[in-house]
Amino acid sequence: MFNSKSGFLLPKIRTVALSVVMALGATALPATTQADETSCSPFTPLIMGQEEFVYVWTLGVEGVGDGSDKLVTVDVNPKSKTFGKVIASLSVGGRNEAHHVGLSDDRRYLWGGGLDTSHIFIFDVHTDPAKPKLVKVVKDFVEKSGGIVGPHTFYATPGRMIITGLSNNKDHGGVTAHVVYNNKGEFVNTVHIPTTEMNGVKGDGYNYDVAINPKKNVMLSTSFTGWNNYMMDLGKMVKDPEAMKRFGNTSVMWDYKTMKPIKVFSTPGAPLEARWSWNKGDNWAVTTTALTSNIWVYAQDMQGDWQAHNVGTIGNPADIPLPVDISITNDGKGLWINTFMDGTSRFWDFSDRMHPKELYKKKIGSQVNMVSQSYDGKRVYYTSSLLGNWDKKGADDEQYLKMFYWDGKELKEGFSLDFYKEKLGRAHHMKFQVRDMSKLKPLHAANTGLDSLSLVMRETADK
Amino acid sequence: MNFLRAVFARLERLPRGGVFSLLLVMLPSAGTVLAADSPGAATASPAVLEFVPPVAGTYELQRIMAATDGRVLDINGNTHDLSEFTGGKVTLLSFIYSSCADASGCPYAYVVFHQMQTRLERNPRLAGRVRLVSLSFDPKRDTPEVLALYAGDNAKAGRPVEWKFLTTGSVRELLPILNGFGQDVFLDMDPATGKHRGTYSHVLKIFLIDRARTVREIYTTAYLMPDMVYNDILTLLLEEGLKLE
Repeated sequence: MFNSKSGFLLPKIRTVALSVVMALGATALPATTQADETSCSPFTPLIMGQEEFVYVWTLGVEGVGDGSDKLVTVDVNPKSKTFGKVIASLSVGGRNEAHHVGLSDDRRYLWGGGLDTSHIFIFDVHTDPAKPKLVKVVKDFVEKSGGIVGPHTFYATPGRMIITGLSNNKDHGGVTAHVVYNNKGEFVNTVHIPTTEMNGVKGDGYNYDVAINPKKNVMLSTSFTGWNNYMMDLGKMVKDPEAMKRFGNTSVMWDYKTMKPIKVFSTPGAPLEARWSWNKGDNWAVTTTALTSNIWVYAQDMQGDWQAHNVGTIGNPADIPLPVDISITNDGKGLWINTFMDGTSRFWDFSDRMHPKELYKKKIGSQVNMVSQSYDGKRVYYTSSLLGNWDKKGADDEQYLKMFYWDGKELKEGFSLDFYKEKLGRAHHMKFQVRDMSKLKPLHAANTGLDSLSLVMRETADK
Repeated sequence: MNFLRAVFARLERLPRGGVFSLLLVMLPSAGTVLAADSPGAATASPAVLEFVPPVAGTYELQRIMAATDGRVLDINGNTHDLSEFTGGKVTLLSFIYSSCADASGCPYAYVVFHQMQTRLERNPRLAGRVRLVSLSFDPKRDTPEVLALYAGDNAKAGRPVEWKFLTTGSVRELLPILNGFGQDVFLDMDPATGKHRGTYSHVLKIFLIDRARTVREIYTTAYLMPDMVYNDILTLLLEEGLKLE
């Protein structure tokens, strides 16, 4: 993928090379591991068994270790002697407001963004998954995209990465775009978020997360706020009425194929993470709003039109619990919702998606942001940092990675890592990895392939 | 089993060739898996992609990357640059191996390609404008002679929509092509012996390439609908200025 001719670093050897060389009689591959998790792109091979590594994209903090952003690798294989320990820490040099990471469609590379500098860091996580290697830094994101700032979500599509921007370089507000790069780290195109009226709702141009449902050829995007706000001190911002007006109040359903908006929804209060239920036959998505504490479900009506439904309230909205990350179970029947301010994770029963109910909650720490569960839902991982200037101060500024076992009734702690004691920084987004990716398949790929084959056979006969 | 009978009945309507006989060998295993995973599929297999593809020419396909070049062999054993088969026409390219038994992989690609060839050849205006390429990632076993058998009548010279079956002279020549396109291939190993079972794991990818050798779309198992592929091909031809009416 990256070669010296184009100025990139050359990885030692790709697994595919290793694989094919082995066809000629070289050494054997490690034992097969099957695996999966629910927030990845449907185009990325998933880990349906035991994850072996958790990568934590970590914000550098002045005076903590080298003070730089870094990719931290934690061994989470319960059979390993270093289970629950940091086994690698790769500093990228400098602070960029590290935020989210995303795996490429072949799961060989992990892309991480800096919301402040708009730099993108691409790590090789397949040559030696226990020790990622930085292979490229994209520094032309703002220039190539036409002024988009703040690369947030990295969502893999075949051969490409959709990168949601949060801001722009004209006024550093929230009007922004999706930016597409190819897997070589080259710019492809920019797709602006609608600012005109559609279906009676005026687009605000804001952006945050995306999630694709390939079966319906649709993509849902949500909205947050621009650089002016996400780089401002939280205490100062909430006292600034003008700043508080500058949050996204819309979400957009797109035609994924054409990347054209189908419909703009009014979903006030910064709708954040977007997730589709991957349960076979399901075609609905969910998000939560940070400022209004609502749960929104997106589904088609009898006419096939996409509608957004406000189906629930998280905690007491007057207290602004600040719902942040969510994680949906693989059958779409349950949803973890984290509320940052009270450091609590809440499990909601989504068996009836239009009438979900909170079943369980547990305080994870003084603050909690990201939540990632294993595909089987038995292990749930948490990290603490929201944004460098939004995290709590003093003793409440806990920074951690924690893993809990979930038996359907209770969370029981498996391990906890203090990211300050480890001299790492603020723990933000997580992604899982395994050593052997040979048997990993994209979501429902086997079933989908068989279903599709029968569909094609029907079409062949019909046409 | 009703599903299997239906598949076989439809296969028998397809022209016979090397691939046809191989598919007959492969499909029983596909049907077995289907029966286990989708008990309801025997009478009504679900249509996985539940949408109407956008109308050809109403959208623009992204310019994703340049198509990788490399050295390949045709079924007559002649050496070529791969670029001879990715430029000048709209090209649909997939990586296959002739002994593939994964129904969501090569057989699926074969059926889609066959349908494309048949549909495109019905429109005389499209003659000579579209090419299909199946490139083997098993050079050790997929020699030009084996691929010629695999190709059957599909590769017959003079067809309005040509279908090229290619292989490479060695793994060394193959790897840069796989890497360039981003096609993963893993060996299936026997855990008891540590030896290669002779099969490969791969996620099917089909690459749509314009006449200037730029990859414009990549289809995978999770996002592959023949009608959509057909419309994408027409979209590229319309972009070139072709008038369909």
